[in-house]
Amino acid sequence: MKQTTRYGPPRVASSTTSTVANQTGSWKYIRPFYQDKIAPCNAACPVGIDIEAYIALIREGRWQGARELLLQENPLPAITGRVCDHPCEQACNRSQFDAAVSIHAVERVIGDMILQTPPARANSTSTHTIAVVGSGPAGLACAYHLVKLGHDVIVIEAAAEPGGMLRLGIPEFRLPRRILDQQIEWLEALGVCFRTNTELGTDIAWEDLSKFDAVFLATGAHSGRMIGIDEEDGPTFMSGLDFLKAVNVGQRPSIGREILVIGGGNTAIDCARTVLRLGADPLVVYRRTRNEMPAIEQEIREAESEGVRFQFLSAPVSVRHGESGTRGLNCIRMELGPVDASGRRRPVPVTGSEFTIASDTIIKAIGETSQLDYLPVALEREGTSLIVGGLGETNIHTVFAGGDMTEDTRSVAFALGAGKRGAIGIDRLLRPGRRQPDELAVEQLKFADGNVSMARWMSSDPVARAAPVNRVVSFDELNVNHFRHLARNEDRTTMMEENQGSFQEVNPGLTSEDAITEAGRCFNCGVCNGCELCLILCPDIAISRGTGEERFIIDMAHCKGCGICVEECPRGAMAMTREGL
Amino acid sequence: MNKVIVGNHAVSWGVKLARTEVISAYPITPQTQIVEELSDMCARGALNARFIKVESEHSAMAACIGASAAGVRTFTATSSQGLALMHELLHWAGLGRHPIVMANVNRAMGPGWNIWTDQNDSLSQRDTGWIQLYCETNQEVLDTTIQAFKLAEAVNIPVMIILDAFFLSHTSEPVDIPDQVTVDRFLAQRETSIKLDVADPHAFNALVRPDAYMEMRKDQQDWMRRAKTVYAEIETEWKALFGREYGKIEPYRTDDAELILVTSGTVTSTTRHVVDQMRERGTRVGLVKIKMFRPFPTDDIRRALSGAIKVAVLDRNISPGRSGIFAEEIRSALYNIPMDDRPKIFGYIVGLGGRDVTPAVIEDIVEQTQIATQPTREDLWVGVKP
Repeated sequence: MKQTTRYGPPRVASSTTSTVANQTGSWKYIRPFYQDKIAPCNAACPVGIDIEAYIALIREGRWQGARELLLQENPLPAITGRVCDHPCEQACNRSQFDAAVSIHAVERVIGDMILQTPPARANSTSTHTIAVVGSGPAGLACAYHLVKLGHDVIVIEAAAEPGGMLRLGIPEFRLPRRILDQQIEWLEALGVCFRTNTELGTDIAWEDLSKFDAVFLATGAHSGRMIGIDEEDGPTFMSGLDFLKAVNVGQRPSIGREILVIGGGNTAIDCARTVLRLGADPLVVYRRTRNEMPAIEQEIREAESEGVRFQFLSAPVSVRHGESGTRGLNCIRMELGPVDASGRRRPVPVTGSEFTIASDTIIKAIGETSQLDYLPVALEREGTSLIVGGLGETNIHTVFAGGDMTEDTRSVAFALGAGKRGAIGIDRLLRPGRRQPDELAVEQLKFADGNVSMARWMSSDPVARAAPVNRVVSFDELNVNHFRHLARNEDRTTMMEENQGSFQEVNPGLTSEDAITEAGRCFNCGVCNGCELCLILCPDIAISRGTGEERFIIDMAHCKGCGICVEECPRGAMAMTREGL
Repeated sequence: MNKVIVGNHAVSWGVKLARTEVISAYPITPQTQIVEELSDMCARGALNARFIKVESEHSAMAACIGASAAGVRTFTATSSQGLALMHELLHWAGLGRHPIVMANVNRAMGPGWNIWTDQNDSLSQRDTGWIQLYCETNQEVLDTTIQAFKLAEAVNIPVMIILDAFFLSHTSEPVDIPDQVTVDRFLAQRETSIKLDVADPHAFNALVRPDAYMEMRKDQQDWMRRAKTVYAEIETEWKALFGREYGKIEPYRTDDAELILVTSGTVTSTTRHVVDQMRERGTRVGLVKIKMFRPFPTDDIRRALSGAIKVAVLDRNISPGRSGIFAEEIRSALYNIPMDDRPKIFGYIVGLGGRDVTPAVIEDIVEQTQIATQPTREDLWVGVKP
């Protein structure tokens, strides 16, 4: 068949060599550079964990590295993975895209892995011995970090077994004793010494602590608050913490059938779920609505699905003495008024709306205060809290404190963070040559406005170790066009029907495969993870793979400063600057 | 294989049968079905092409230029404002001599926002260095799409296939879809000696100084002219394989015609019908359909029209401040022929923004032209409300 005429090539402009000769870099007046910032999870973590970094390692299956990174900041990942209310996930930028990364579930997988093998004993490199009073999360964290920093530590605990609130205040179905015991053994193997059954002020005197080079106080808050009604110290009332402690040490207090739990925090929810497991019928009475409850959302959901009932917008008024010995609580309806100092709407009583709820036992779970009578009066305090500085310093220069006995948020994570700050404070005191004790240095240890980083403290130069820009990357700074929607790997919750009345752990956690998948959902906000989009999208092919510390090299002779790399970086880990600056 | 398909899908079928390798497009009514169907073909593996999604028509054409420079067969489709947004890159494709094929569904320019047909979008791109082929039926659309690749690649000039909004794009007609084996005999894989090659790096389309620019332009003009010959060759080949041909222009019943109507696009079909009816009544009227607008088939036009006394050009377009664009081109083409052969040329503006051009409208135009002794100074607007 006759083919259509083929002609020669068209007359078009073509260079004689490649475009490398054309140094387009001379055109630019602004230039891109790589600039790591802080992921919101890191800044939100009260412990001060480099979450973004360890999650990135898990995604690559580098478990060993992830363990080391996590353990540098958090001594108890198996525990925080279970009981932390994970503010990291509330801050997670991914929550504005589909759903937050399930950080706590990933942390728990590594935490359990860590407990499989005892740690090598830490090298003692200092001549100092520190007393840590109290073995709750704050005390454990402080002791752990001090031991890792080379100091000798003795933890003094009033109870028969270490753990503080972890052992006494958190029910078994949320934190199995097995895990806590393994965690304590693990810390002992590392070199933390415990002296139990030793109460400060009873078994040893304050003066006895003077033989230590420094003291970290973390004795918590154990005295239940009062509702402020008559007869509340009577036999039908019980403090929530006392109730949990009794059950947690194996007692089964006789509480009757109808149980009221007053309060809306985690202690209230824990009490209600514990009551359920003792075969009684709990009703949580809370003066605001479900939306204002400070308890962890997941715990509330689980309590609801287990059958815990709630009476919202109700407050106790007086004890009811019915005929023939019937007992109960007179309550009043509340409505939400204007927003108060806590940022929540203040509950206001509705006149004439009194009603009565029958009850056998009333559990008060409305918070605890510290008991500071055993401490010298010279130690400065505000109400029932000790006053401490940014690294746990009190007004006595060898005495530090942290956790629930200070003015700090009452949670395991905040206590762990306080313990770490105390350890750094003590290390700085005992090895003064090591770091300038000025405020600036403390700021430079922090993830943005979050907690301090032990990694930065341990490094020779915390300023260099810090991200160049110590600020959080917002969702708007990401380029989420490069991400796909992916379902979150949710915790698997054992249905209550399967373990009715059992104190067996409710949440069996993720598999390690699920954890890797979940880690793959992380945006790595503000931190270059080598995704190569900058390299791929550079129209001048001016970006190439680097070696060692520098992941990428920008060929400034050809980069013409268009900014596409900065705009397209999915995680806000690049920036532009004016030429010559 | 016979199928009843809309004009948009006739384009899609043509692109598929041409074994197009890269498609990049941005949706716009009434074109969207073309690339929807193509993306579907790519997704289900019926067409082994890379479908590049972009955020604008400007980028769509830029992607096509890049792909074409890399030596592969490339297609896009657009309409109206989308075509206008491509304007800068239409020049780039034209002078860069990238043999891209594009379907443009003729849609009126806004404002007022209008999705119906007229030719102002494509005619506004007259001087960008693209071949323009206006189609009348869905079969012609499909056939022309395949031919367009062969033409573009032979002369290294991009080709725009043009079809009327809705009258073709969304109207179903029976179409004979050629079989792939025969199409493969007609159209081989694209070959080009000039293409991007990482092993032998060169930059295309960079600075050209005054001492070379005119030669480049002249080369483009020479190949535009040769495209007319090449297109005729391609049609001959096509006819041998598939039995159909359309011509750069199509004279219809023009022998002995005193009055010849000139049309393009779907108005042609209606006019053909009117001509048949008037011929039955003894009126000596004929029709010339213009398919190829660029390069302009001046010789064919002269041959077809020089015998007539009067010519009435139906323009579904307007060059504001001048006249209908086809009428203007025809006046220009006939000016330098001997005075005695020159017909009087009457211009009529019809059907803008998708207004119907019915047989009655065309009959009126015939009658008006017959009555008039001289064309008016300006084209007449048909059916415009006061």
